[in-house]
Order: sequence, then C-alpha cells, then structure tokens
Amino acid sequence: MSLALSSPAAQPSRTARLLRRLRGQHAFLVGAGLLVLIALLAVFAPLLAPHDPYLQNLAQRTIPPVWYAKGSWVHPLGTDQLGRDYLSRLLYGARISLLIGVSVVIIAGLIGTTMGLLAGYFGGRMDMAMTFIVTTRLSLPVILVALAVVAMVGGSLWIVILVLGLLKWDRFAVVMRSATQQVRSQDYVAAARAAGASTAHIVLREVLPNIAPQLIVVATLEAASAILLEAALSFLGLGVQPPLPSWGLMISEAKAYMFFSFWLIAIPGSALALLIFAINLTGDGLRDVISPDGRG
Amino acid sequence: MKMMRWTALAGLAATAFTATAALTPALAGKADDTIRMAYDQAPESVDPFFNNVRIGVIIGQHVWDTLVYRDPNTGEYKGQLATAWRQVDDRTIEFDLRQGVKFHNGEEFDADDVVYTLNFISKPENKVVTQQNVNWIEKAEKVDKYKVRVITKKVFPAAIEYLAGPVVIHPNEYYEKVGPKGQNEKPVGSGPYMVSNYVPGKSITLVKNPNYFKDSPKPQPKISKIEIRFIPDRQTQMAEALSGGVDLIMSVPKDQAEQLQQVPTLQIVSGETMRIVFMQMNTLDNTPAPALKDERVRKAIIHAIDRQAMVKEIVGAGSRVLNTICFPAQFGCTDEGAARYTYDPALSKKLLAEAGYPNGLDLDIVAYRERNQTEAMIGYLKAVGIRTNLRFLQYAAMRDVITSGKAMLTHQTWGSFSVNDVSAATPNYFAFTAEDITHDAEVRDLLLKGNSSVDPQVRKDAYKQALKIIADKAYAVPLYSLPVYYAANAELNFKAYPDEMPRFWEMTWK
Repeated sequence: MSLALSSPAAQPSRTARLLRRLRGQHAFLVGAGLLVLIALLAVFAPLLAPHDPYLQNLAQRTIPPVWYAKGSWVHPLGTDQLGRDYLSRLLYGARISLLIGVSVVIIAGLIGTTMGLLAGYFGGRMDMAMTFIVTTRLSLPVILVALAVVAMVGGSLWIVILVLGLLKWDRFAVVMRSATQQVRSQDYVAAARAAGASTAHIVLREVLPNIAPQLIVVATLEAASAILLEAALSFLGLGVQPPLPSWGLMISEAKAYMFFSFWLIAIPGSALALLIFAINLTGDGLRDVISPDGRG
Repeated sequence: MKMMRWTALAGLAATAFTATAALTPALAGKADDTIRMAYDQAPESVDPFFNNVRIGVIIGQHVWDTLVYRDPNTGEYKGQLATAWRQVDDRTIEFDLRQGVKFHNGEEFDADDVVYTLNFISKPENKVVTQQNVNWIEKAEKVDKYKVRVITKKVFPAAIEYLAGPVVIHPNEYYEKVGPKGQNEKPVGSGPYMVSNYVPGKSITLVKNPNYFKDSPKPQPKISKIEIRFIPDRQTQMAEALSGGVDLIMSVPKDQAEQLQQVPTLQIVSGETMRIVFMQMNTLDNTPAPALKDERVRKAIIHAIDRQAMVKEIVGAGSRVLNTICFPAQFGCTDEGAARYTYDPALSKKLLAEAGYPNGLDLDIVAYRERNQTEAMIGYLKAVGIRTNLRFLQYAAMRDVITSGKAMLTHQTWGSFSVNDVSAATPNYFAFTAEDITHDAEVRDLLLKGNSSVDPQVRKDAYKQALKIIADKAYAVPLYSLPVYYAANAELNFKAYPDEMPRFWEMTWK
C-alpha cells in the first residue's frame, strides 16, 4: 500500500530481496532452523512425548538417560527425582518457554510500540511525557521488581507473563520512537498527509509497516531475555509453579542432584541454552539483513 | 553402574578442584582435633529460650546444662544439675542441687541460678520464643542454697521431661546483668562446651570445657573444638563434605545420602527421629479455602497421597507411616481406634465429586523443608484433580501465614523439642494455639485434660480420644516420621539418636 513498497516492476519485490539476503546468512539459517524445530516439538509435544509429563512414579526415580548403562529406551532421557519422564517434561517445558517468550513479547510489544509510535510521531510534549515514563521504567531493575511482585502476589505462569510483559516494554518504546522519528520525515508520510489521510491512518498504515523490521528484531531479543528471566525466577522458586515442567524449575529441582546425576541439570540447561542461542542467531541475522550498516 | 561411578568421580574431582581453588584449607578434622559442622539455618539467638531451630537446641545442650538428664539410650532420667528430686504435692517438685558446679565464667552454681532462670522465663513479659516449653511454670522458690521447689501452674506430669530438655539453667548474676541479648553475644553456661567465638549468622565455635564437672551424666568431652558454620545452600554443604571442608552435615536428603555413601572419606549414619510430618488443613471460619470445611474433601486429600510409597522411595530408612498426629514413642501417642486412610485415588476422586468438586479444585500449599516431598504430594494431589499453588518459604514466614489464618494446606513438620510426651506435640496444633487452624473445642478440651491430669491412664485415655477425633474427622493428614541422614567424616565415631541431637561430647576419632 505504502509508497515505499511500490517499486518499479523490473526489480524484485522488497520481500524477495530480503529473503535472498537472508539465505546468504548461514547463522540466521541455523538459528531459524533450530527455532522452527523447537517450536514444532513444542506444538506437537502431546503427540511426541512418550509419557504423561506429570505422571510420577516414585519407584522409577532418577533413571539415567539411554546412553548410560542403566538407561533404557522406555525413558530416553531418563526420569527426574519424582520418577517423571524427563523427555516428556522437556518437550512440555519447551511449550512453557515459548509461551512465555511469545506472550511477554506481545504484551510488551503492544505497550512499547504504542508509546514509541506516539512519542516519535507527535514529538513535543507527548515525546517528553513518553521519554519520562521510559526513563522511570529504566530506573527500575527488572529482576528485582519481578521478584518483589511475585513474592507478594504469589507465582504462577500467568503472573510471570504479566509481570514480565508489563516490565519489558522499554526497549520497544526506545527503538520504535527513534525509528518513527526517522520515518515521520519521509516524503510518503508528507504525501499521505497532503492527501488528507487521518493521523490514525498515517500512523498505522504508513509508519508502522515501515518500522516493522526493527520491531521484529527487538521482539526476538526480548523473547530470549523473557525466557531467561522466567527460568531465573522459576529457579529461585518464584516463577512457574510445580509441577509445571518449566525448564528453569527443572534446573532448580535438579540442583540437589548436581554432583551425582548431573544429566538432570545438564539436559534442561542445554535445552535452555540452545533455545536462547537459536533466538539470538535469528534476531542477529534479521538485524544484519535489515540494516547491514548497524553491525557490531 | 560403571557410568554412575564415573559420574560420581567426575563430581568429586570437580568439587575437589573447587575446594582447592577456594581459600579454605581442606584439613581433615582429625589432624587438628576439630569437628567442622555445617547447618543450613542460623539461630536468631544462641540463648536457647530465644530461638526455635534445631541448631539452637544442639548448641543449647552443649553450652548449657539442665536440672535433669534423660539418657538417650535407656530413656532413664538422671540428675544433672540436680542430684535428686521428689514430688511434694500435685504441683510442686523439690530438687536437691549439685554442689561444686561452676559456670564458664567462674560463677558458682546454686539455687539462685535455678530460681532466677525459671522465674525469668515463666514471665510472659520476657517474651520467651519457645512459650510451649516454659508456660507451664508458675514459679520457682529457693529452699536453701542447694534446694529449690518448682511449682507448676496446673498439674503437669511432663515437667521432668521438659526440665531434662529445653529448659536450661542460666547463671543468674551474669544473666541479670546482660540479659538475653548479652547471653546471645557472649553465651555463658555450665555445659561440656564453651563458646569461644560467635559471629551471628555465620559461625559459632565451641571449645571443650576443661573444668566440666566429673559427675555429670553427660560424658566428659573428648574432641577439643567444634566449629559450626551456617551454610544455607545444601549443595555448598555437600561440596564441603565431599572435599573434606566439613566433617558433619545433617538432614541430608535420602537420594544424596545414598550417593554420598559411595565416597570413601565419608560415612552415612541414619535413624528415625521424633520429627513428624503432617499436612494441616485450614478449617477455620474465615478459611481462604471453604472447601476444606467439607470432611469429604479432607478425606479425599488423605486418600490421594501414597504415604507408603513416599516413605519407601523418597523419605528413607527409619521412617514409618503415621496415622495420628504425634510420634509413636511419645507418652500418650497411639493410633488405636483411629481412622486409617489407605492410598486410594479412585475413592479420593469419588469423595471430591460427592463434595461438589467433580472437576477438582485449586488450593495453596505452604512448605519450608524437604521440597522434594512437597512436590511428590503436589503430584499425588494433581493426579486426583487438586491443583496446588506452592509457596515455599522460610519457617518464620510460613508460620506467619499459618498464624494469620491465610494458609490452606501446609506441609508441616514438628520435632516436639525432643520432648517424649504428647503434650509437646499434638496440643501445639490442636489446642487453640496460634498454629491451630482447626479449632475443635472437644479436641482442645481432651488435649488439655491429658496435659494436666496426674493419673497416667486418664492422660492416655484423653489423648487417645483427641487423636481419634482428629483422625476420624480428618482434620490433618498424618504423613510419616522423618529419618535423619548424617554424612560424617569416616574417621569420626558417630551415633544417631531419634532426637536429632548430635552429641559432640561423646564423639571420638577412630
């Protein structure tokens, strides 16, 4: 719709160009591939998981994974300290991590983008007010506030999502604000204004689509950070509630078994590291393609 | 198996490396005749009347003495600071005191010390933390320099048991001068060990009392120094034990204890303790979980938990399933005639459906120790449709939640201060005390009758009826007694007792 997208017919479309550039990014391909794989595993967890992730069997505890002499294919990744199948919990845990990543990004993205757009587009008093709110928010350490809130109202999956979502919008706001300021002075915005388009139309249909690439980059980085924060909160016992199989919680519960059954802590730990790695690779790849000058 | 051993070795190597890298010299205790112990909670105060944690009891029994001593092997009462005692009337006991005993600061022990201490702790305005240990004392009177009379508020048959346990004797001149605060900063007692260095929240060092009176039923201490460090993190404690940085850790979970057993420098000693584990259910009028007021829901909760499997698999050797809220060896404790609830998830679901919760219900659970056991219970409850929200807190915070009536389910444990009498256990949770979230007047009256009757048979009958009502109406979930696993330096002669009291005075090196 916007003028920027109506390129001459001789050249390939912008999307096509982006995709071509992305194909050249090996890191991006690895990251995105992993991310898609983890997402598929999470989505199809009920079909893939060999057991009920909540089914505890105290007689079958801390069975080692299959590559140990005592392991068996009944529990490919062994069982945890309550005899629950570790592979099943890992798969369901991926759902929780991704759910948290996505939901936090949606909440934080909505808040941050709205504020960034308003501040960047209108400038002046609006900008000052928004900048003030962002500065105030930046002065609060996220993990500390999250800990305090969760300690007061009690932890649960939705509380963790809400708390993180309501805290992690600052980067969205800052990036969207400066991106909007750049786009605002473009000719097509002036043209739309001259053509008599309403402010809402300009902001939503002209500005927003043109800052979307930056939005996606911020979103990936924030998703990774939200997943890590959830794991940290759960590790401290203030996040997701047992028996939900959150990876952070699994690491926390396995801590006691660290010396003699280290796979219990190594498996969810590696899974978490892999997921964060995949998201960050994807985000970096996207950023390199969208603004090749912004590297380093 | 081979792989397991390899893992163990890798873990060992890693910890050995960290320990060498750290500054603490990993000296074996035998070389410098010091037992290094790690404990996870620090006492609020070292004064035994102003803390309610186990380590406080342990320090208390080493630094101070009591009038009477209960031999842990025979259960027999022996004179410690007292040499003889006799019941004068229903509420008065007369004690002959030992002569020639001196406190660590040189102060002589006599009737004034006993009278001062007992009168101090019995006054509510002095705010003794362990009220249930002292609130039975009316007053103490001096008869002559080595004779006192202790008068109880009501008839209190368990008095000797308390005087043989938590009620230690302070030096009156020193205590009068410095008070509980000074007694915490620079503790002075008459026990087999003296405090040589105390850094609150960090460590306390005890040294052998060379002048400990020879006639004490506690044997003369042999090992010269005990260093107790407060290390909250269990993994750090384990790493220290593996690397030889500490010689003794206690309350090691079963799984870890079994793994530590493979380590040649350590020995694992275990045994049943008097600590009982149970789950309280809030049935007060203002309960945040009205569903718990329904007897069927409470019974469903008991039927949902496989206590037998928990005991066998995760609680460990020496533990037994309980049917009533008291420790079986305590005077008056019985499960005769009390309702028993088998593990029956189907029945549990049926009861929940009958009570109007076919789709289950949501409940909060507060807990403060043995988190793996809490999680096993959460798993069992989930299996019958009860979704729980766990709040894992420090003991003091959990106690606040309970006493303010905001708890729903609690994963509670109680060690009765090692007092071998039901009066130290059940009434603490069912006689309208702060921690009572049941409030059944009939149960209270029976328990109080048991506490204050002279005739042992009357006491037994009263307690039995009270315990039966608690079980029949399913006011609480009796779970199991807790074993304790100690991981000790293999060179230490160490014996475990049911009262969770490591007795340093009788320990020696092999």
